[in-house]
Amino acid sequence: MTKKNPDKGYVAILGWSLNAINAIENFDRRYIIVAPQWAEDYARENGIPFITWDFERLNESSMEIAEKLKEEGVDVAIPLFEETVEWAGAINAVLLKNPRLMNQSMLFRDKALMKRRAQLGGIRVGIFEEANDKTDVIRFLRRVNQALLKLDGDPDDPIHLKAFDKAGCLGHRVVRTPDDVDNIPEEEFPALMESHLDGWEFAVEAFIKDRKIHFLNISEYVTLGYSVFVPATPDLEKWRPQVVAEIEKLIETFDIDFGFIHPEYFVTSDGKMYFGEVAYRPPGFNAFELIERAYGFNAYQAMVMMFDPKTTDEEIKAFFPREVVDAKGHAGCFGVYPRRRVINELRIPEETENDPYFEFHELQSPMQNKVPKRSAFGTHWGLVYFFGDDPYRMRDLLKAQEDLDYYI
Amino acid sequence: MNLNVEPAAADKQTQLLQEKLESAIGRLERASLFAKLNFQTQVLELAGRMILLPGGVQQLYALAPRLDDAGLFYGTDWAEPGALLPRLVNNTLEQGSDPLVMLECMSELRLLAIANGEYSHEGVSVEQARHFLTQVLALNLNHLFGTANEALRTRLGKLGDGIQALFQYLLDHIGFDNILGSLIDEIWRILAQRPIQVGGVKTMVTQIALTLAQGVGDIGEARLGSDRLISSLFGPTQGCIDDPGLDAYYARLEAMDFPTLQQEAYGFSRAMHDVGLVSDYHAGYLRWLLQNDQSQLIPDALGLSSTGLDVLRTYQNLIHKLIEEVIYAQTAQTVYGLAMLLERGILYAPPIAPGLWRQLNLPLSEQTESALMAAYGDAVTPRVRLLSGVISLLGQPLGVGQGNNPTCQSARAISMWSYNDPDFLMHLIAQAARFDNIQMNFEGQPINSAELAAGLASNIPLDTDPVSIVLVPHLDRVYNAMGQACVGRGEDPHRWINPEFHGWWVGREFYIAVDVASGKLKNDYVSYLEQFYRSYHPLYNGNQPVIHPQPAGIAVTDSNAQFVGWHAIALLRVGLDQNDVMRVYFYNPNNDSGQNWGDDVVVSTHGFGERFGEASLPFPELASRLYIFHDDPIQVQTDIIELPKEELDHVQDMALKSWAAERQPAEV
Repeated sequence: MTKKNPDKGYVAILGWSLNAINAIENFDRRYIIVAPQWAEDYARENGIPFITWDFERLNESSMEIAEKLKEEGVDVAIPLFEETVEWAGAINAVLLKNPRLMNQSMLFRDKALMKRRAQLGGIRVGIFEEANDKTDVIRFLRRVNQALLKLDGDPDDPIHLKAFDKAGCLGHRVVRTPDDVDNIPEEEFPALMESHLDGWEFAVEAFIKDRKIHFLNISEYVTLGYSVFVPATPDLEKWRPQVVAEIEKLIETFDIDFGFIHPEYFVTSDGKMYFGEVAYRPPGFNAFELIERAYGFNAYQAMVMMFDPKTTDEEIKAFFPREVVDAKGHAGCFGVYPRRRVINELRIPEETENDPYFEFHELQSPMQNKVPKRSAFGTHWGLVYFFGDDPYRMRDLLKAQEDLDYYI
Repeated sequence: MNLNVEPAAADKQTQLLQEKLESAIGRLERASLFAKLNFQTQVLELAGRMILLPGGVQQLYALAPRLDDAGLFYGTDWAEPGALLPRLVNNTLEQGSDPLVMLECMSELRLLAIANGEYSHEGVSVEQARHFLTQVLALNLNHLFGTANEALRTRLGKLGDGIQALFQYLLDHIGFDNILGSLIDEIWRILAQRPIQVGGVKTMVTQIALTLAQGVGDIGEARLGSDRLISSLFGPTQGCIDDPGLDAYYARLEAMDFPTLQQEAYGFSRAMHDVGLVSDYHAGYLRWLLQNDQSQLIPDALGLSSTGLDVLRTYQNLIHKLIEEVIYAQTAQTVYGLAMLLERGILYAPPIAPGLWRQLNLPLSEQTESALMAAYGDAVTPRVRLLSGVISLLGQPLGVGQGNNPTCQSARAISMWSYNDPDFLMHLIAQAARFDNIQMNFEGQPINSAELAAGLASNIPLDTDPVSIVLVPHLDRVYNAMGQACVGRGEDPHRWINPEFHGWWVGREFYIAVDVASGKLKNDYVSYLEQFYRSYHPLYNGNQPVIHPQPAGIAVTDSNAQFVGWHAIALLRVGLDQNDVMRVYFYNPNNDSGQNWGDDVVVSTHGFGERFGEASLPFPELASRLYIFHDDPIQVQTDIIELPKEELDHVQDMALKSWAAERQPAEV
């Protein structure tokens, strides 16, 4: 749709996301989508440049896609999903003649490796260990709580269990008691265990080019796995200088020349920042859409600029607004999960519908009456979007949604 | 171009919603075509809230052209406004999900903008847009007058108010006198098919009466048509021309001499047979005749011919008993069914009269009673309601419709039995109504409906005639079970089901135009067509008439001749019309048979020799949409007669241009 600029780079997008493709179609870079076969017909019918690739098949033929893209004249590959991050690393190692990129991407894909590298770089992380089975989890739970000087009968501090290589909240469990451990299916092992940090968790979206941060957004989590909004409250924004310093440490430690990163941090009550994890791809929970709503620029386009080796400094300066002050308001979203076990219909709670901050929802009417038990974070049924001026009101409003029934 | 309302009028809520809508529309506008779908729902959701606010419809109206350009309809069935059908609007409003209902509403506002000359869209003229909206209004008076049924209200929730606001807005712009003319035509067209269910028509006539009484401007010639409709319901005779109320009317009857009473009888029967509607006074009059020893006037009041008169005399006790038990103001329409039942002469078949006596005294099961009460309320008892349904159905075999239910097969079966096998139908009704079960056999295996899970009609239908309400859930289940038994045979199951389900009189030979495995048209489609000509066309089958109604399948196409779906009909007869065109007369269980199937194939329901309730098409046009038919295995030797090659080629072309466009066989 938008006229393509031949002086700019040619990018390959790894993964299929209509919102991303829509954004890039309306940007001046030439692009090609690399995605699985099931998307091919749709791409052809709609004139979307497309190469079929099966990302689950990681083997010797991996060079093939890199060579194919090189022949096509592609300058750089951009991952959309966790599963395509190492593919992007491997492909960019070839396209940009920089084998280091492959190794770097492996760090992003393995949460345990990632934590160790961070620790080596002098970044503060919580206590963590790899677990191979349930006994490891029980041992870790006990040890963490002994270290916290809990007596028998005191409620234990929880620990967190995360899959090594899954995005965001997928496979993220909170374990409070040995009984919880029984509910973990065997196939979730091995996994990463972390101590629980009683603090304030938040995420950062950082756009990086030439090892410099060009735009940094802080996303405030109201409740992990339920709700997030941007920009954050002043209470959290006051940590921005420290956050910038931490991101710069990440850039050094992980040797990040360009691209987009999405790390998560904790600030504890004594003001220390702990690194949680970092992803080299757009965040889940539609944070890009929230950024666009708040700031008016398209974060997918911004990401393309960061990856494109032919992007100029002037272009970047002209593209990004000023952080926080240029935001038109605060945009938030809430992931709905039915609170009842048996439901009949979708009904937006009246107080939500009448709230001036409520924008719209993407919920669908239920297909079945029985609600499956929620086993981990991140399995919401759809998002509800809010927008308004006051970040504190936004925070309280998102919190209040947790006590409302959307499905009755 | 943006939201242009006076800021004073727009309260804060409206303004906030405008801003959100504006931002959602912006996203939709910027989206590439392939991604429009991702951004449509947001806009529809916000529009669904906007429509509920005061002045919301006006706001949406102002936005409609911009939303069309932004791609709100892109990739949906509403993309081409020129191809939309007024008849389908109601279905979307009643069955669609919330976003679809809103899309439908926005589509109406877009057409209104076109009709008002404020917007243009390729393929729709100002006149077409106006005509479309007129039709939509006429067909959706229930939304306009807030008479939508309870089920609909519950389902739509608040959006129901929005729809009513929308229709009010449309009406304000299109004007009532504008819709009145087409509404009246529409009512006459429906009535010409003599449906059993006339509740909707009566509501419309009542609304027209009220509107005219309020002195809505000059409606010109339409006035004549409306007068007859209104008088047939509210004042068909001299004695009740001023709609005095039943009690006052009874008092007047007491004072009438015999010739005046006879004039009343003539007036009632004339109105009933002319229009197809029965006035409450007519029902009251019949009851009064019986109670006042004036039963000799019943034949005149029913408008009977010598056949009907003879039946009435032969079965006088039964008929009087039926009138006494069933004919009330609440069941007035049954009078027409009763008259037609007598005229059909089927009472001369030995099982019919005792069958009706059984029905008169039939105790109903609890389930039957509650189903009938749910659909009709308790104005009369369920037993009376069902009996009235039986009389109407036996009198008007082609007046039964499937309602808003996916049960064309069951409705067709009921119609064919009433036409052809009425005692069997009465047996099924009695079994279902009393024992909640019907038994049929399939290839030697008994099937009991009570033991089966629900079929297509998972809910009991509420919007059909009393017999269908009782019988369809059972028939549907049995039909489904027969289908189950055919799974894996690799051929169309109707081959086996149709004869077993309907009766011995369904031809055992089965012809299908489609290759079931591939879904493509058969390579020898032409020989399929030739067979249809040899089986049914009097000029090529040795002038053999259709003896029993035969189930057949048609590929329904829309007004663009695009394939819509498979549908069940019954072939009734084939004959020449007044213009010497060979026509197929058939029964369509759809509630309104007058349909435009595209490419100038327009199904006629009156004016070409159709009997009440029949639909008809010229032979080749019907052949072009037919995909299944039956015939007897041993046929008259007709090979010597040469078939009309050119006509068959034309039929094949019509099929290939319409429903079979994407079913071209490998080699034609």
